Amino acid sequence: MDELLRDFLTETTEHIEGAETQLVHFERNPSDASLITSIFRLVHTIKGTSSFLGLERLERVGHAAESVMGMLRDGVPPTQHSVTLILAAIDRIKTIIEEIGAHGSEPPGDDAAIIDALEAYYAAGSEAAAAAASAEADTKPSVAAAPVVTAAPVVEAAPAHPVAAAPAPEPVAVSKEAPKSEASSAAQPKENRAQGGSTANQESIRVSVDTIERMMQLVSELVLSRNQLLELARHREDDSIKTPLQHLSTLTSDLQDAVMRARMQPVGRIYANLPRLVRELSTSLGKSIDLITEGADTELDRQLIEVIRDPLTHLIRNCADHGIERPEERLAKGKPERGEIRVSAAHEAGQITIDISDDGKGLDTERIKKKILSQGLTTEQDLRNMSNEEIYRFIFEPGFSTAQVVSNVSGRGVGMDVVRSNIEAIGGSVTLSSVEGKGSRFSLRIPLTLAIAPALIIEVAGQRFALPQTSVVEAVSLGKNYKDLIQDVQNALVLKLREEVIPAVELREVVGLGADAAKEESDKLAVVMRVGTDSFCIIVDSVADIQEIVVKPLSASLAHLKVFSGHTILGDGSVVLILDPAGIAGNLGIEKSTEKKRDQARDQSAAERRRLVMFRAGAGASKVLPLSLVSRIEMVETSRIESSDGRLMVLLQGRLMPIVPISPEIDMSKPSYPVLVVATENRSIGLMADEIVDILEEKLEIQLASANSELVGSAEIRGEAVELVDVSHFIRMADPPGKSSTAPQRILFAADDQLVRDMLCPAISAAGYNLVAVTIPADINELLNQMSSFDAVILDGDAPALSAPYFLRALKDRKDAARTPAIGLSRNPTNRSSRSATENGMIALLSKHDRHALLETLAYALDAAADAKAMSVELAA
Amino acid sequence: MSNTSAALAVQSVSDVPTAGEESYFTVFAGGEAFGLSVLHTQTIFRITSVTPIPLGPIDIVGLVNLRGKIVTAVSLRRRLGIPVDEFQNSLAIGIEHKGENFALIVDEVGDVLTLDASMKVQIPAHFDPARSRFMAGLYKVGNLLIPALNIGALFDFAN
Repeated sequence: MDELLRDFLTETTEHIEGAETQLVHFERNPSDASLITSIFRLVHTIKGTSSFLGLERLERVGHAAESVMGMLRDGVPPTQHSVTLILAAIDRIKTIIEEIGAHGSEPPGDDAAIIDALEAYYAAGSEAAAAAASAEADTKPSVAAAPVVTAAPVVEAAPAHPVAAAPAPEPVAVSKEAPKSEASSAAQPKENRAQGGSTANQESIRVSVDTIERMMQLVSELVLSRNQLLELARHREDDSIKTPLQHLSTLTSDLQDAVMRARMQPVGRIYANLPRLVRELSTSLGKSIDLITEGADTELDRQLIEVIRDPLTHLIRNCADHGIERPEERLAKGKPERGEIRVSAAHEAGQITIDISDDGKGLDTERIKKKILSQGLTTEQDLRNMSNEEIYRFIFEPGFSTAQVVSNVSGRGVGMDVVRSNIEAIGGSVTLSSVEGKGSRFSLRIPLTLAIAPALIIEVAGQRFALPQTSVVEAVSLGKNYKDLIQDVQNALVLKLREEVIPAVELREVVGLGADAAKEESDKLAVVMRVGTDSFCIIVDSVADIQEIVVKPLSASLAHLKVFSGHTILGDGSVVLILDPAGIAGNLGIEKSTEKKRDQARDQSAAERRRLVMFRAGAGASKVLPLSLVSRIEMVETSRIESSDGRLMVLLQGRLMPIVPISPEIDMSKPSYPVLVVATENRSIGLMADEIVDILEEKLEIQLASANSELVGSAEIRGEAVELVDVSHFIRMADPPGKSSTAPQRILFAADDQLVRDMLCPAISAAGYNLVAVTIPADINELLNQMSSFDAVILDGDAPALSAPYFLRALKDRKDAARTPAIGLSRNPTNRSSRSATENGMIALLSKHDRHALLETLAYALDAAADAKAMSVELAA
Repeated sequence: MSNTSAALAVQSVSDVPTAGEESYFTVFAGGEAFGLSVLHTQTIFRITSVTPIPLGPIDIVGLVNLRGKIVTAVSLRRRLGIPVDEFQNSLAIGIEHKGENFALIVDEVGDVLTLDASMKVQIPAHFDPARSRFMAGLYKVGNLLIPALNIGALFDFAN
């Protein structure tokens, strides 16, 4: 029997049992609309599916019953008569279904009597409801057609109308001879029920996914125990246990296989809906399209079938709408009049590939390019270097649609990005290839199962973690080249790999683990990952293994840990946490930088290449400045530089110009230095560098947002990481001290956690603050007293002494609370702890891992405090 | 501690509780006895290895493989603020709460007690709220006061 038919029978048999009871309940409690709605839905589904499967009797009975139930649902009170009628219809549906279960096809027979009775009741009901329509209600055929109209809003698919409407009048015509055949058909199934039973009930049972999951778990454990036994047996002389053990081993493997198969279902299940979809699309688009499906028996995980259903539908819509041309166009191009959409599924190297191809007009590359540029998704240069495949990838960007006319089928630009994200969510990928004029092809690659995924087992600080392989691009052994590959740019690590600068982070820091003393830098590996369109890498101690893992979601009490997506049991029985690449990316603030990157790209597409001055100042990466900002470059002899009021000045062309060294490491030991003269509105300042490297014309694409205010960010030029200097910062520095103090602001950092201090202090100092880090004194009052002499304090909110109620109260009651803002840090700030911190005189409670947020908050708090101070001075005056 | 167990054993005469009565395991943490409703308890086992959870709540010791199920191990000592000093406890009670599987790590498991409402006394107001929020009630058993543990609060890490 057809797989689809069998599913239909199983489901219907199960649901229809409940429908009877519900209907009877409804008769007693007519106010409970949910009862009739659910039966209505059931009958509606039966009707729809039967029409699809070509089960005409079921369809007609279902249709007639649905009309009457529609009335009840719309508020007509149920009467004994109406309920009896519906029950009779349900009985009929049941008997027909039992027949189909026994024989595989619809039994001959006529249901005109039941249909007539239902339609008569419906007609009467319609008359009562719509008195105006009563005149037309005389003729039966028009009444029979009426329910179709009423039911229309519920019918999802428009083309169902002709199918449903056409057969309806027929029973009316044969209604005279109906009773005889009705009786015979009613008697027939009763005999069959006894002998054959229903195959639907025998051949398959419905098992909850939980049960299967539990079986999977047990089987995994069984495999584990077997492995241990085998290991024991290997070291024994005794051969007597070897044979049974071997047998056990084989059985275990078979069992594992069988349980895995229990989760699998053929792709054909989704194919079932496609012919109808394509038929509807042909009708509404006015195109003739043939659908060809291949590989219906390819099996994949049940869950996956559900996940790919929508993307598949969307891609087919897309092919029909954008791909296939109108018949006249096709004929003009010498193609057959009927277009063709081909869906084929196949197993391929542990994955399933599903190709959706059409023989339509293919993609218009030029139009896509224009669209890409107009949306500012990339620059023209980049576009020029891209292959067609790379260009097509933009089609999956949110909001991208090249359709010139928006049809109701597709072309709103919503959907292709959803397709990609749905497919990527299950560890799959989608690609698009096309030959202009010949057609296009979407290829979905999806894993066999969701439950089992290949993962890298990585190790950091002695603890193992699993990293889903689907998001891993490559693992780079840092080896001796650590220093070359990993560069510390403004306290942020970057991996320089080939032509790319990739944000990097020590996984150890992300998960808050201490360093493993035994591990040398040189043994480490960088694992490059891709999340969406962003790449980043994590630095780990080692990759221990690649294993197939059974992914289990984190329990509710741990679900807030964003860097982990789940946990799993490894082959040796140990539990490991599964890292969530998207969570780590979020932790690194990569989402934010992507937006900036996109904005930047948009800006750049107008400006294109820029002339840049590349120079060195202090240690570290070369720095660049757009030449447009620099009015000239002068060599200034150190002897001509004068110090006045702590600031450096030089007399140039009769005017004094302030000089600011770009790096504090510039120590005036050389006889002369190059100075980049930058003109502001009313005067010029000189930025002093160590040496000018080059003036070049390059595209400047900021790859990393820097936390440091001296820099706009870092970029990559000719394979080298460079830093883009923020001129406005130096202009501020050169400003006379009257306006705002140039003396660095003093920050007190009180924490006992050495790791946190080591991690954050450099970042804070680098941001230009004068930092004093202290351990928490035994006497808290000492700390409180110290605070007033600083511009801001940063407190370790996890330290017991600093989270004690006494301290918090004192912090809140400080007289100078407005002048010395306090910022709390926590390993793991929760909503509640944040609230408690802010209620107790802290500006905010931030994560210890988020130094960007810390620097931002610090800057903001200092500004606010300065404003408050200015205000109080004004008030005093 | 064995004396305490003996004293408690005397109390547990009837194994089948009648209406209003409920059976409790006595569990020990830091020398103190607590009642843990048997209705919640699924299994008692020894933990052989724990996977710590970086960044996770401090009271959660880690994840444990219990016959193919991953359970979240919570230390009763840490939860109640009893110092975890002398030795690493490995005795745990498997408890399912709100669809999650937990293992409550205790020092020792004693006898089953039958407690009923008449033995319940008011929780004194001066009890540390950090402690009393984990108590479902305080029961007077002979001359001992046994707090019954509040499973809901013990395994609530929402805050």
